[in-house]
Amino acid sequence: MSSSDAHAEEGGLPHHAHHFESQAQQDGAARLGMWLFLGTEVLLFAGLFLGYTVYRHFYHEAFHECSRHLSLVAGTTNTIVLITSSLSVAIAYDAVKKGKNKVAAALLVFTILCAIGFLGIKSWEYWVKFQVGELPGKWYHFSEVTAPGANLYYTIYFLSTGLHAFHVIVGMSVLLWVLKGVVKGKYGPKNYVAVELGGLYWHLVDLVWIFLFPLLYLI
Amino acid sequence: MAHATKDEGHGDGEHSHGIGRYFIVWLALIVGTTLTVITGRIDLGAGNIFLAITIASIKATLVVLFFMHMIETPAANRIVFVTSIVFAILLIVGVFGDLWTRNAMSLPSSAPSTEGPEIQVPGSAAPAHEP
Amino acid sequence: MSQSREHGNVDGELAAAPEVNYLNADRGVWSWLTTVDHKRIGVMYLVSVLLAFLIGGIFAMALRVELLTPGPTIMGANTYNRMFTLHGVVMVFMFMIPAIPGVFGNFMLPLMLGAKDVAFPRLNLLSLYLYWTGATLAISGMIMGGADTGWTFYAPYSTTTPETLFPVLLGVFILGFSSILTGLNFIVTIHTLRAPGMGWMRMPLFVWSIYATSIIQVLATPVIGLTVMLVGIEKIGGFGLFDATKGGDPVLFEHMFWFYSHPAVYIMVLPSMGVVSECIPAYARKNIFGYKMIAYSSLGIAFVGFFAWGHHMFVSGQSTFEDGAFGVISMFVGVFTAIKVFNWVGTLYRGSISVKAPLVYICGFLFFIVFGGMTGIAVATVSLDVHWHDTYFVIAHFHFIMVGAVIMAFLMALHYWFPKMFGRMYHEGWAMTAAGFIVLGFNATFIPQFLLGNAGMPRRYYMYPERFQALNVASTAGSSLLAIGFIIILIYLVFALVRGKRSVDNPWDSRGYEWMTASPPSKHNFDETPIITQDAHSYQKPGEEVEHVVI
Repeated sequence: MSSSDAHAEEGGLPHHAHHFESQAQQDGAARLGMWLFLGTEVLLFAGLFLGYTVYRHFYHEAFHECSRHLSLVAGTTNTIVLITSSLSVAIAYDAVKKGKNKVAAALLVFTILCAIGFLGIKSWEYWVKFQVGELPGKWYHFSEVTAPGANLYYTIYFLSTGLHAFHVIVGMSVLLWVLKGVVKGKYGPKNYVAVELGGLYWHLVDLVWIFLFPLLYLI
Repeated sequence: MAHATKDEGHGDGEHSHGIGRYFIVWLALIVGTTLTVITGRIDLGAGNIFLAITIASIKATLVVLFFMHMIETPAANRIVFVTSIVFAILLIVGVFGDLWTRNAMSLPSSAPSTEGPEIQVPGSAAPAHEP
Repeated sequence: MSQSREHGNVDGELAAAPEVNYLNADRGVWSWLTTVDHKRIGVMYLVSVLLAFLIGGIFAMALRVELLTPGPTIMGANTYNRMFTLHGVVMVFMFMIPAIPGVFGNFMLPLMLGAKDVAFPRLNLLSLYLYWTGATLAISGMIMGGADTGWTFYAPYSTTTPETLFPVLLGVFILGFSSILTGLNFIVTIHTLRAPGMGWMRMPLFVWSIYATSIIQVLATPVIGLTVMLVGIEKIGGFGLFDATKGGDPVLFEHMFWFYSHPAVYIMVLPSMGVVSECIPAYARKNIFGYKMIAYSSLGIAFVGFFAWGHHMFVSGQSTFEDGAFGVISMFVGVFTAIKVFNWVGTLYRGSISVKAPLVYICGFLFFIVFGGMTGIAVATVSLDVHWHDTYFVIAHFHFIMVGAVIMAFLMALHYWFPKMFGRMYHEGWAMTAAGFIVLGFNATFIPQFLLGNAGMPRRYYMYPERFQALNVASTAGSSLLAIGFIIILIYLVFALVRGKRSVDNPWDSRGYEWMTASPPSKHNFDETPIITQDAHSYQKPGEEVEHVVI
């Protein structure tokens, strides 16, 4: 990925490392690298989706009941927040390519605010669960669901949403770093691949949630 | 200089399009979310999980194709992502196949068997299996 | 351009004047620790993995000494458990997985592609830093707190044992990250930095093997990352995922663990097969037989390898349906390996064979991969594995591949590319001697273990019935020969490094693309990107006879 000094220049500061023939070749490499990394993230979450599949199969009654005790409002709101943040980051990337850095910066700020909102709602959900004992494994003491395996439902819940929240934080940090580059004029029509890659990572975060939401909250 | 490599920076941006398509996708995602929330709380038995996964997959496909520009990205990137999904599915299906075909009594979810003779373990007071 | 030297002479004259190459271009320890030069990173990996190999090897010797007598010899049960855990963790995660890709993949890949570096040089350095961090964490964790679960960390023992496993699990996680980033880097390099004229079907076969390896690294390693993380969380938090008393399933751990760890063995073996594909044409001075089949079979092994993990779980409580399915699928890997062996032998046939140390390793490799691979087919047979599982038969099988094939290939690579990397030549007589010790010592160590396993001796036991003693003593004696071989190699290679004869640029007159540069290469590999006009491993034009040349 290109490294360049943060000089504000019209259209962004193109630069490619000595082992690449051109900026285009370097950008292509960066894209492929990010898609590969996203592939590893898919496999990482796959393990948790496996856990969900396995324990849902064992304890479908408990899983069904427990999902009714999650806040549908919180989950749906979070889903809409993430989808909208995906929209804003996609438009931000488009804006950078067209040289509209101010618009892009505003959209990136909005995206980051969405991320914070997501985390806020999630934290509230977690806090509620601590209060009533909807906790994983040996900590479970929620009196309303006594079907066997309820504790494992919350194990899967906390592991999946926890790992996802960690990725939200990472994604947010990446977007903050991209925002800095956009504001300083480092990125523009001549140099925008970093914005694209940051956006790709954020979209992955959205993708994971698109699957987690129905599996945990709805069915 | 001739480039032998094909996977260069024509990933996107070469085809400029308006941002209108992003709003359309967003709308479709919102519709999909609404649909899945409504149908999720209706009891369809086994159909619930299939419907939920189907709607989620459609939403995901839209995000990947349009927000992540996979519709206009070089083939290598597409192959990478699709392959990762395929192997994720392999992991889940392969392991699930084990559970599905295991003897029911050996599953963790089966309650201890109360049938059969009580086995006295030498030296201990209690029978070998207790509920 | 760097100074040109004559081709064809093994013992070249000393260079007229010292030249600037990647080794001396920048001076000082700091320049090495912060380098982004793939060649320096490869050399640092070399030092690191050799250190890891030494540590793992010392613990292996400790195990073999303990097994000299049926009862306790030099240690008790708990110590023995910690020793084989250390041996396994160090050897698998700190040597076998990173060695050939980290050392030779890093050094040779850009040279073979006509590139100036890998796609992401700084990421490459990060991979090295992560390797050091993970290795230090895991080793110190094992030495201080002790880990006695075996390198397989099976639940529920790993989640309930009082030993502090956490630093080891974290170390393995970080090592996994290093592996993923290396694989990612190599895939992008191969896709984007091939020189003009190098289509996919002109790439050296080592590159194909690294490509297949990297695909496995990227796809499989995240799963083990998650798995060890879950074990750690369960130890701390009691989340119950693998704990039957809380409704969990310990076999789920095994599924997740082996989903990575079976493809992991192909991460180990594929690069070694790539090395063999490089060396055989060079030492037979003949075009590689069946280039396409070797290239595709690498991808085939990578693919099929993902479908076979359940063969580690035949007796763990998996369903009998999956027992059968995994057993049958596992055997298909043998088809791809056999294709390669036929092609390699086909290359040697009627070639102009140069009897050098790497050739001894080639012969050893071929024998061990066939023998070890066939015993793999044997243990893939469910009904037979019920008897052999968790016995020394399995240990002998995987050591035949891991040591017999992979380490032979590592030594082969080390000798073949030593002059390229360091511009010096080692002493051929000592190299042959050491190779003899290694091959003979290996046989003496591990063939008795097949017999022991078949007779019923379980693995990971520090005590055994008296009737097994003779074979155990034989195995330990063999391992001493192995150790002597490795020590001899270390001595003459270090000597060659500091006082060895200067080598010519291409002492083997090999047609590998990496030999087009100087030995050692300059810092930037190529001043101008080369244009590739011939196929890889090409020694004769079509219709030409094999030239008989003594090198």
